[in-house]
Amino acid sequence: MKNRRFLLVGSDFEPFCMALYGQGGIHIPKICADGGVRFAHPVEGELPDLSLIRTILPLKKYLFPPKDKVLSYSQDNGYQPVEYNSGKLLIFGVHPCDLAAISYLDKIFLNGEPDAFYLPRRKSLALIGVSCMPDKYCSCGDIASPMPADCDIFLYKIETGYMVSCESDEGSAILSPLSPFLHETDILPPESTRDNFSLNSVEKFPDDLSGVSSELQEMARSCLGCGACSICCPTCYCFDLLELPSLNGERAERFRIWDNCLYQSHAEVAGGYNFRKARTERFDYRYRHKYLGFGQLQGIMSCVGCGRCIANCPAGLDLRPLACKALKESSHAATSP
Amino acid sequence: MKRERVAIAGLTGCSGCQLTLLDCEDELPLLLKNADFDYFPMASSGIALKGEYDAALVEGCLSTQEGLKLLRNLREKSRLLVAFGACAVSGGVTAIRNDVPREELSRIVYGGDAVPGGGFEPAPLASAVKVDFDITGCPPEKADILEFFAGLSAGVLPIPARTFVCADCRARENICLLAEKGELCLGVLTRGGCNARCPSMNVPCEGCRGVAEETNFAEAMAIFSANGFSADRISEKGGRFFREFLHEKKEYQKTDPD
Ligand code: SF4
Ligand code: SF4
Ligand code: SF4
Repeated sequence: MKNRRFLLVGSDFEPFCMALYGQGGIHIPKICADGGVRFAHPVEGELPDLSLIRTILPLKKYLFPPKDKVLSYSQDNGYQPVEYNSGKLLIFGVHPCDLAAISYLDKIFLNGEPDAFYLPRRKSLALIGVSCMPDKYCSCGDIASPMPADCDIFLYKIETGYMVSCESDEGSAILSPLSPFLHETDILPPESTRDNFSLNSVEKFPDDLSGVSSELQEMARSCLGCGACSICCPTCYCFDLLELPSLNGERAERFRIWDNCLYQSHAEVAGGYNFRKARTERFDYRYRHKYLGFGQLQGIMSCVGCGRCIANCPAGLDLRPLACKALKESSHAATSP
Repeated sequence: MKRERVAIAGLTGCSGCQLTLLDCEDELPLLLKNADFDYFPMASSGIALKGEYDAALVEGCLSTQEGLKLLRNLREKSRLLVAFGACAVSGGVTAIRNDVPREELSRIVYGGDAVPGGGFEPAPLASAVKVDFDITGCPPEKADILEFFAGLSAGVLPIPARTFVCADCRARENICLLAEKGELCLGVLTRGGCNARCPSMNVPCEGCRGVAEETNFAEAMAIFSANGFSADRISEKGGRFFREFLHEKKEYQKTDPD
């Protein structure tokens, strides 16, 4: 069924979901009892609410958990890596921005020598994407990463229900038993938010933030340094390593924990020297990384425009106008003689 | 492995921090394998201070001459002196009325002619002696206490959290009580490491772990007041654990025309 498209009529959506759930571990976006929107396990018969815009945490919580044991130490066996055998998990209802973010994380963790803790988790995820309607915090239409919104199956919302696009072998395996609900079509997919994520958008990035640095500094003064923006960002991946000894000193565990460029300790080195001592410097740094990229991914914007940093910032900071201004200025500079 | 000699003492406080240590029931056997609790009046009476200690954990604030004497004694005898819990670290709950003169407090509590007793204004341990390490919180997290003892056997001190409660809270995928529910949550100012215990139970952060290393007080105040909280309400809540608020309140009262 790979590379074929099917129509799923609205009235078949519920039986389609139930048949899908029958295949095993599945998480969907849902409003939990406290009002928070999260990817989580559906309760009996619960359908995914595909109209929800954004979960608090993105999918990195599955691929790269906040505190992850990576090594165990014992006096007898020395350091032993922790083995992962995570079972298959299907995530149903992932927006294009979150899919593009995974493409970006794949570049970070899988290029070259694959990360031994990310790889098995990544392999265990199957992704069903869905088209969406941007809200006031989204920015994928104006400025977003060129990473492709790849997945195993993608659902385009159409008037009569969904157009289901099967995009991988794994997608075929998932859809085959569901074929009674699917009617093949050769109509092209409708326009959707997914179109914002493609290499064609590559000329859309600012190549320099210096034109807006005074505004950036001004905004940084309101930053609390809490780190919520980066914790909730689907493409922030900094980590730290921490080793905790056991009480009897015979064992130890080493953890990989989320680090954060807004933390005071992020750029502090032995001896106490800090490369970014001031909060304003750290704020500036975060947005340079997001919009300009660095290292091997220099020039590749990693912001996918999901809006989580805005929605979750207690100070209500919103970088979009500055990013758009920087973009305008750099494209203006590029076109003028 | 060398056994550590440990003293656990309480000054003016509620003993909750010492109780939290005694509450580590699963770990106590292991703890006792490597450490001798040679002075711990709350757990075992009739043992006097004697010899030298690898570490002394002192709970509660300084507010009496006897407390001061005991603290100095412990300081002299111990390689590491640890402020154990919020009162020892900053004055904590014992210091929340430090903005009111002691004569007046005595009148309020004991009636008209009462003469203040021998105590003095509650103060953190560090106001009198050198403190080597803080275990913060009201009460402290068990994990922080155990990490200290694990470090003691390994010859290192734990790395204190330098993040905010918000960081723990967000990593647990909680909804934000401040931004989304407009509650007076002090997580944006408070040192992390508690895994956002209170906000995760839908209770705004009280700030019991003390003020974080680097905060943006001005912005936090602006957010709180934009949420409709008065300066009094903010300093009343903040003043429970943040000496910075108490200080501000004192200054504010000094200049208050009424
Ligand atoms: S920078 Fe903000 S909008 Fe961009 S991907 Fe990260 S959280 Fe989403
Ligand atoms: S969420 Fe807002 S206040 Fe917190 S670190 Fe990010 S920009 Fe600063
Ligand atoms: S609920 Fe409190 S601790 Fe949690 S993110 Fe909001 S302000 Fe921070």
